[in-house]
Amino acid sequence: MAPPIYSALIISLGLGTTMTFASTHWYLAWMGIEINTLAIIPLMSQNHIPRATEASTKYFFAQATASATLLFASISNAFLTGEWDILQTPNTLTSSLITLALAMKIGLAPLHSWMPEVMQGLSLLNGLILSTWQKLAPLYLIYQIQPTNSNIFIILGLLSIIVGGWGGFNQVQLRKILAYSSIAHLGWMILIISFSPPLALLTILIYLLMTFSLFSSFMLTRATHINSLATTWAKIPILTMSTPLILLSLGGLPPLTGFMPKWLILQELTKQDLAPIATLAALSSLFSLYFYLRLSYAMTLTMPPNNPAGTLPWRLNQQHNTTLMALTTTSTICLLPVTPAITALLPL
Amino acid sequence: MLKILLPSILLLPSTWLISPKYLWTTTLSYSLLIASASLMWLAAPAETGWSFLNCLMASDPVSTPLLVLTCWLLPLMILASQNHLMLEPTNRQRTFISLLISLQIFLILAFSATELIMFYIMFEATLIPTLIIITRWGNQMERLNAGTYFLFYTLAGSLPLLIALLLLQNSTGTLSFFTIPYLPLTCSDPWAHKIWWTACLLAFLVKMPLYGAHLWLPKAHVEPPIAGSMVLAAVLLKLGGYGMMRILIILDPISKELSYPFIILALWGVIMTGSICLRQTDLKALIAYSSVSHMGLVAAAILIQTPWAFTGALILMIAHGLTSSALFCLANTNYERTHSRTMLLARGLQTLLPLTAVWWFIATLANLALPPLPNLMGELMIITSLFKWSMWTLILTGLGTLITAGYSLYMFLTTQHGPIPNHLISINPPHSREHLLLTLHLLPLLLLILKPELLWGWSA
Repeated sequence: MAPPIYSALIISLGLGTTMTFASTHWYLAWMGIEINTLAIIPLMSQNHIPRATEASTKYFFAQATASATLLFASISNAFLTGEWDILQTPNTLTSSLITLALAMKIGLAPLHSWMPEVMQGLSLLNGLILSTWQKLAPLYLIYQIQPTNSNIFIILGLLSIIVGGWGGFNQVQLRKILAYSSIAHLGWMILIISFSPPLALLTILIYLLMTFSLFSSFMLTRATHINSLATTWAKIPILTMSTPLILLSLGGLPPLTGFMPKWLILQELTKQDLAPIATLAALSSLFSLYFYLRLSYAMTLTMPPNNPAGTLPWRLNQQHNTTLMALTTTSTICLLPVTPAITALLPL
Repeated sequence: MLKILLPSILLLPSTWLISPKYLWTTTLSYSLLIASASLMWLAAPAETGWSFLNCLMASDPVSTPLLVLTCWLLPLMILASQNHLMLEPTNRQRTFISLLISLQIFLILAFSATELIMFYIMFEATLIPTLIIITRWGNQMERLNAGTYFLFYTLAGSLPLLIALLLLQNSTGTLSFFTIPYLPLTCSDPWAHKIWWTACLLAFLVKMPLYGAHLWLPKAHVEPPIAGSMVLAAVLLKLGGYGMMRILIILDPISKELSYPFIILALWGVIMTGSICLRQTDLKALIAYSSVSHMGLVAAAILIQTPWAFTGALILMIAHGLTSSALFCLANTNYERTHSRTMLLARGLQTLLPLTAVWWFIATLANLALPPLPNLMGELMIITSLFKWSMWTLILTGLGTLITAGYSLYMFLTTQHGPIPNHLISINPPHSREHLLLTLHLLPLLLLILKPELLWGWSA
């Protein structure tokens, strides 16, 4: 893509989310989200392969539906209560409708069906933008709604954790697995957002770190299928040591960083007397751990049948700038002992 | 405490920086040095108090024997793995040793933890290195299934434990071992209290393992290489026992009725797994099921919570750790020579490897709890305390002892006595490394006959 067009699209992407962050009026927030959607559509279909066009079309339909619902709900709220301010959305019906619209925007169950399909058609970089940057604006809006009733969040959260785990069971395509992993992690975020918004912020930050590390690892070896993971040992051996740790961190195993949000969320839920829900969420996350483990098996813990040692692929000196990836990978593995410092900084 | 922990942590960089020529000798000697230094913990004043304290770590008479066993096991694991790893590239050897060392670090932190959440995190942290050892270095295809079973059985048990601990922290404000015995514990709803009680214990019962939740153990003990089997049998199972001993203090008074089904299940498991051992053809599976059997006795003892029972459980845990690990090392000597775990393929070894037959003999006698070995001390105290709890348990425990003797002798007689099979054309003689390994296992066991107070836990 020509550099001016590419930079215009990236800047629009940033502009959209920033507008949503900065707005207090529903119109402006909705506008920011629309700019975001419109900017990423050309980015998704830039390589003009039919699968990418299909993915961007599906993405457009899902996001347009959600945006229209969002606009309708915010206008109804203004009609019923006279309030355009995002922080004051007292009407329960419209705030639930807004929550559902935003849930469809980020791909929470049961409004998640578009996510795996769309992710599968994108390149790994676009998939990364979809799972990380595109989630920020809608989550911020959900954070600001502050409803009185937390039931809808608990249902969305639990369903997402279960669907995110169960849906990924049978997948061999890495991008679909990452989509289901995104659904599951967003489920954890939504679960806690009505009880402790700073914890939701922590969860999304840690999720951003972990997903970035994982996508970067896959981008280095251009892996899109479990089979392609199996030859990582021949291309970049250090990746075979770090990626399973990133995967197990995504699965929430102590002593890796991914355990931190789960632990703090379970603590908050038990403080709110929701221990059975906490147990259900914790046990459902074992589903996703199963397919993360399967990925680790394919990558590191088994040796695939392949060319004998004499004919290994040429390991040419490639120009990989891995600074950021190294930082995020280290954070993904080693950040758990810093939890007291992070929880002290939480009520930001 | 840090005198042992910091050198263990620093073993990791030294593993990666030593030249390949000296890798095994250096790691072995350093870990032996750490193991000898860890014996200082045994010199603590023999009261029920905590010693070697800092804010986060301490040792008391229950955790000290387990800590010393953990530190003792690392040089033994390095010694045992040397042969089968010799042919691998250096970096893989370094990775393997790093996994063993990180396992030791997590185990030291787990056994010396003074706070329940710290214990939980370290309990879970031991899963990752063990998983990698089982699935990466195991030899058969079934190792993947073994790793999955191991991880998921343990996690499914321990996630409810996390929630139970968080609930406890809400009501008591702290989870420190120092203060928990003195806190009043009230729970209004009887059903919630029962579920909370089960959630607290389930993780440890699965880890021990209790008979109904033991399916991961035969897989996870059989598939890994020798170091993995050793650490699993010797120490990781004891994490479950140790956790149970710590947490049962808080769980009264409903433990009196609620522990009935688990005690019965544990005792029934002793007999069932013992009977399975009598019909096993796979040598490592036999030792694995024997571990379930002994741990069933330990589980029953810990659940009845009398002083003799706790003491017996602790003694049996340590003695079984050393014995089981020794038996796995002996099975490994068979495996390295015949590359098969089938017992019938390596019979009559007393004629071929007479010196190893001595070790087989001592290890078998230890397994069937011959006096005056600590195995018998432990089992006897457990059986006595169970008898006091209910006289009918004597049928189950007595039968269990009989079956244990049966399958231990079956194992010994099948592998050692009888004619040499015709297909064994050449068997390498035992290396001095293997003799050293077994000496280091069985000599402490014999020495413990002379000073059993080291293992008595709180009754000392």
